[in-house]
Amino acid sequence: MGSVETECFLKLQVRSHLRTLSCSQERMELLHALRSLAGLLEDAEFTRTYYARALQVLVAKDWSKRLLHDHDKELERLWREMFLRGPAEPVLMTLLDAISSARCEVDRSSADSAQYREALIGQISALPSITSNQLRANTPEDLLPHRFYTLLAESILETLERTCQALRAGHDCSLSFISQLLGKVCIQGNGGIFGTMAPRLSSLTRVDPLMQRVTQNLLEKVPERCMESVITGLVLSLKGPTAVSRLMGDLVLNNKKAQFVLTHKMLLQQYQHPSLLLKSVLGYLSLDSERRVLLKQVLRSVCQVWCNSSAVKHTCVEQQLYVTRALLLTVALLQNSEVQELRQELVQCMLGGVQCRLDSNIERIRRMGMVVGECLSQKLDTPGSQLQFQYESNEEIQELRSLMEYQAVEGEEPESDASNNLQPIVEASEVCAVPSQSITSLPVNDSDSELDSDDDLTPFDMSADQEKRISAPPRYVRDCLEGLMSEDAERFELSLQVAASLLRKNVTTTQEVSVQFCRVLLHLEDRYNTTLFLSLRQNAMVALTVTHVKPVVDYWTTEFFSLNYSLRQRLDILEVLALSAQELSEPIRSKQAAAQPIPEVVPPEQFDDITHWRHIVEKRIQSKTRRIGKGVTQPVKAAPNRFAPVAGCFFFPLLKNYDRPQTTFDLLGSDHLVLGRLLHTLGLLMHLAVNAPVASQMGRALLDFIWAVRFHTDQMVRRGVLFAVCSVFLGMHSENLLTDLGEDLMEARAWLADVAESDCDSDCRSLAMQSLVLLDRTLKAQLKIPEMKT
Amino acid sequence: MSRPPPDPLYILRGSGAPVNTLHFYCGGDGPPLLYSGSGKGAVHVWNLNTRRAEQVLESHNSNSVIWLDTFDGSRSSLISQGRDMRLCLWDLSEGRSAVTDSLLTGAVGFCQCSLLESQPGSSLLAHPTQDMEEVSVVEMKSWTQVCSLRPDTKLGMLMSMKMWQADSGPVLCAGYEDGSIVLWDVSQRHPLSFLKPLPEPVMCLDVHVCSQKGISGSSEKILQSWTVDGQRTLQMHHSVQMTNPGVSQMRIRADGKILATAGWDNNIRVFGWKKLKPLAVLQHHTDAVNSVAFSDHQDPTQRLLAAGSKDQRISVWSIYNVVHRTNIDTREPLAVVEDLLSSSQPEGMGRAAVKGSLAMGI
Repeated sequence: MGSVETECFLKLQVRSHLRTLSCSQERMELLHALRSLAGLLEDAEFTRTYYARALQVLVAKDWSKRLLHDHDKELERLWREMFLRGPAEPVLMTLLDAISSARCEVDRSSADSAQYREALIGQISALPSITSNQLRANTPEDLLPHRFYTLLAESILETLERTCQALRAGHDCSLSFISQLLGKVCIQGNGGIFGTMAPRLSSLTRVDPLMQRVTQNLLEKVPERCMESVITGLVLSLKGPTAVSRLMGDLVLNNKKAQFVLTHKMLLQQYQHPSLLLKSVLGYLSLDSERRVLLKQVLRSVCQVWCNSSAVKHTCVEQQLYVTRALLLTVALLQNSEVQELRQELVQCMLGGVQCRLDSNIERIRRMGMVVGECLSQKLDTPGSQLQFQYESNEEIQELRSLMEYQAVEGEEPESDASNNLQPIVEASEVCAVPSQSITSLPVNDSDSELDSDDDLTPFDMSADQEKRISAPPRYVRDCLEGLMSEDAERFELSLQVAASLLRKNVTTTQEVSVQFCRVLLHLEDRYNTTLFLSLRQNAMVALTVTHVKPVVDYWTTEFFSLNYSLRQRLDILEVLALSAQELSEPIRSKQAAAQPIPEVVPPEQFDDITHWRHIVEKRIQSKTRRIGKGVTQPVKAAPNRFAPVAGCFFFPLLKNYDRPQTTFDLLGSDHLVLGRLLHTLGLLMHLAVNAPVASQMGRALLDFIWAVRFHTDQMVRRGVLFAVCSVFLGMHSENLLTDLGEDLMEARAWLADVAESDCDSDCRSLAMQSLVLLDRTLKAQLKIPEMKT
Repeated sequence: MSRPPPDPLYILRGSGAPVNTLHFYCGGDGPPLLYSGSGKGAVHVWNLNTRRAEQVLESHNSNSVIWLDTFDGSRSSLISQGRDMRLCLWDLSEGRSAVTDSLLTGAVGFCQCSLLESQPGSSLLAHPTQDMEEVSVVEMKSWTQVCSLRPDTKLGMLMSMKMWQADSGPVLCAGYEDGSIVLWDVSQRHPLSFLKPLPEPVMCLDVHVCSQKGISGSSEKILQSWTVDGQRTLQMHHSVQMTNPGVSQMRIRADGKILATAGWDNNIRVFGWKKLKPLAVLQHHTDAVNSVAFSDHQDPTQRLLAAGSKDQRISVWSIYNVVHRTNIDTREPLAVVEDLLSSSQPEGMGRAAVKGSLAMGI
C-alpha cells in the first residue's frame, strides 16, 4: 500500500506547487515551486499523470507576460528546463494547444490511448498550418510546408534506420505510429513527402533486405483510408517497377485496399498520371509470379473498358489515351504463354475496340484505335492476318508504339550519384570536339578542278527547261470540259490544271455550261494520280460557283441531299459552298495591286556577266533621290458585298431535307460525320452573312435546326452545333436576337450552361463558354444592364 | 539572278520542209554561207549577210538530204548524201548548180558520212554501205575503196561516225545500234578500242580532236562523254542528265569551249565542254531540232550557232562568242563607253556592238 501513499503524497505536492505557479506573484515562491517540479521530472508517475497539467499551467498567459517583462534569468532557465527535459509528446501537444488555443478534449491521463495518438498525429501533420495561422508572415522557414515536410521525411527515414538497428539488436518494434503519421500527411495532400523519402528508401532497400521488410511493414500498417494517397505518392516518386517492388513487396496481394487502388483505381478511374506511373504499376505487377495473376486480371478489365463503345463516346480523349497506354503496357508485359491463354479476350477486345474507334469522328481516337489494332495483332501473331492501317505518324503514335517495347526489368534507375552523372557528360563533350578538328584538318584536294572547269562560262537562266508535254492545255471552256471526260491521262491532267482559270476568264461561256461542268467535276475521280488533284478540282468548283452563283448553288444544294453520292462528294459540296461564300463575301481586290510589275525588256546585247552599267547608274540615282509626291495611299473604297443578296440560296436549301433519310444517306443516323460538317458549314455561312438583311431569318432557322440535334452523341456534331450557335450570336444584330428569339434564348442559355459544365469533350466545353460569353454580352448591351462597379 | 536565255539572232525561213542537216562555210572570199539540206531533197545555200537563200539545189530525186559538206577548201565544191542511197558531188562555182559525180552507196539507214581531208587534194570519205554494219572508206577523187571496217561481234546497225587524222594516221569512231562505240584504226583496218556507254542506239556522236574527248547521245536523257587516251583506248568520262530525252545531233565548237545538242524536245541545249556543265536551254523551235552546227568563221566573235528543225526553220544564235579580256578596266563603266564611242570605231561594228562587248569585258 506504500505506492498508494506515495501517490497521494505526490498528488498533494504537485497540486500545491501548481497552485503556487498559477496564482502567486512572489518570485521566490515561484522559483521554489518550479525547482521542485523540475526535480520530479525523473519520476515516471509524475511525467505520466501530472506533467501535461503542469505544462498547461506554465504556458498560461501570465507566465508569458512574466517572462517577457521581468527578464528573470533564473526563472526563465527553470521554465525552459520544464519543457526540454520532459517527454516530447505532452510538450508538443501543450504547446500546439496553446498556439491554436482550440483545446482538444482528450483524456490526458492515458497517453497511449488511440484517441490521444490520433490527436498527436493530427497536430504533427498539421504543424505548418497551425503555426502559420498564428504567425502569418513571420513563420520561420523551417515551419513552412515544403521545408517542414522535408524535415519530417528525414526524421521518418532516421526512425526507420534506427528501427532496423533495433531489430538487428533483437528488440521488437512497432511501426504503426509512423505508418499512421505517413498516412495522415499523405491524405492531407502532402504526398510530396515521398520526393525526399523515395530515392533514399529505394537505395537503402537495394542493399538491405531488412530495410525492405521494414518498409513493407510500414506500408502495410498504413490505415486503409490513407492507403490510396500513400501509394499514389510513393509510386509517383519512385522510378521504375523494381524499386516499387522492393518497397511494396506483396502489399498488393495482402491488402485489399492497395489492390483496388493499384489494379483498378489508378488504371481505370484516374487519368492524370504520367505514363511512368503506369509503367511502374504494371511493371510491379509483372515482376512476381503471384502478382502476374493480378496482371492478367488487370488485362481483362482494361480490355473490357477499352472495347466498350459507350466509353469511347462518353469519356474524354485524355482518359481514352490513358487506358490505351495501360492496355498496350499490359500486353507488352505479358509472356507468350499468357498471351495464348488470354487470346480470346484480346481478340474480342481488339475487334470491338478498334471498330468503335474507327467509327469515331475524332482523328485522335481513330489513330489510337489503329495503333492498338496493329500492336495487338502483332502480339497475337496470327500469321497472314495482321492488321495494318495507313495513317500519319505523330508524337503520340510514336509514344504509344514505344510502349509495346517496354520491359519491366529495364526500368532500373541509375544510382543518383553526382560523380556518375558527370562522367558521361565529359566524355560526350570530348567526342564532340574530335570531329570538328578532323573537319578543319581535312586537306583541300581540289586542285584538279581549278584547271578543268567551265566556270568562265556563266549559265543562263534555265528555269524554263521543263519536262515536255505532248499535248497542249485546252484554251476553251468546252474543250476543257471534254478533256475532263476524256480517257487521255495527259489531256485530263492539263484540263484540270487550267480549269479554274479558264472558268474565271470566260464568264459567258462558263454560264452556258456551268451546271454540266458541275456535274462532271462532282463525279470526277483521281484516276491518273494527278498531283494536287483535290485542290485543283476544288478550285474549279469554287470558280464555277462564283461565276454563276444561282444555278450552280441550286445544283449543289439539291445534289447534297440526293441519292447515290459518297460521303466524300457530299463533304466536297459543303466545302465548296463554304469557300465560294467566303470568296463572294470578300471585296474584289483591285487589279493593280495584284499585278506584278513587268520586268523591263533589255536588248540582248546589253546582257552579260555583270549588270549593265545603265542599271548601276540608275540604282545610284534612285538611292540618292527623294521623291515627295509618292506617299499618298489610295483610300479604301467601299464595295458591295456580293454574298449578301445570295446568302439565302446557299443557306436555306441545306436545311430543307435533313430529316428525310434516303436509302444511302441518313443524316440523323449513321452519317453523323456529314451532319457535323453540315452544321459547321451552316455556321460559316451564317457568319459570312453578317450584316446581310437576311441574317436574322437565317439565325432563327439555324437555331431551330440546331434544337433538334443539340444532344447528339457524337462530339463532332456537338462541336458543329456549338460553332453554329456562336456564329448565330455573332452574326445577328443584338436587337433582332432579342426580339426574334426571346424565349428560345433563355432556353439556349440554360442548355449552354449545362454543356459548359458537364460535356465530356473539352472543345465542346470551351465553345459553350464562348457562346455563353457572347450571348451575355449581347444581352447586357441590349437590356442596358448597368455595369457592376468594381 | 541569272540572265534570261538569249533570243535567236535571226531566223531563216523558207526551206519548205524539215531541215535535216546544216553546214557552215565562212572561208575564202565572199559572204559566209550556210548550207542546209531539207526533207524534200532541196539544198539551200544561205547568204548570212543578206540572210536570204542564194541558191536552191534540187537533188536526190526529192528524197531527204541527210548530210552536207564542202571539200577541197572551196565554197563551190559540195557533197551531199541523200536517202536515195546516193552521194552527189556538186559544182557551184560561177552560179552553176551541176552534179559532177555521184556514188551509189546502197545504204538505207540514217547514218551520216564523214569526210576527212588528209592532205590538200586528197580526201577520205567514210560512208555506210548496203551492209548495215559496215563502214566503207573511199578515196574521194577516184572512189577507190581504201578499206572496209566491219566489227567481229554483232553490234547492230551503224548509227553515226566521225573520222579524223591522228598522229599515226586516220582514225574513225563509229557508234552502233546496241549503244557501243568502236574506235577504228583506218590504215590498219582493225578496231582499237570498244566502249558501251549507253544501252540505247548511238543517235549521234562528236569528237573534239584537240582535247581527245568525245561525246555520244541517244534516245535517253543522258549524255555520256569519253576520252581517247595515249594508247588510243576509250575511257568513260563525265555524263550529264537532260530534262527531256532524245538528241538527234550534237556539235562541239572548234575552240572546245561549248557543246550544243539538238533535242527532240524542240530545245537546243548548250553545255560547257570541259565538265558538261549545263549552260543554256535555247527555246525557239516548235518541233524537234534535227541538226546543230557551229560556224568556222575566222573571227571568234562571229562564230554562230545554227539549228535546223522539223518545223522548217533554221535559227541562228550568237552565244558565248565573246573573248574575255584579261586586263580589266577599273574606270567607271560610263566613262569607258564614252571614251570608246568618241574614238574611232572598227569597221563593221555598230555602236551597240561596241557597247555590248565592252560591258561584257568590264
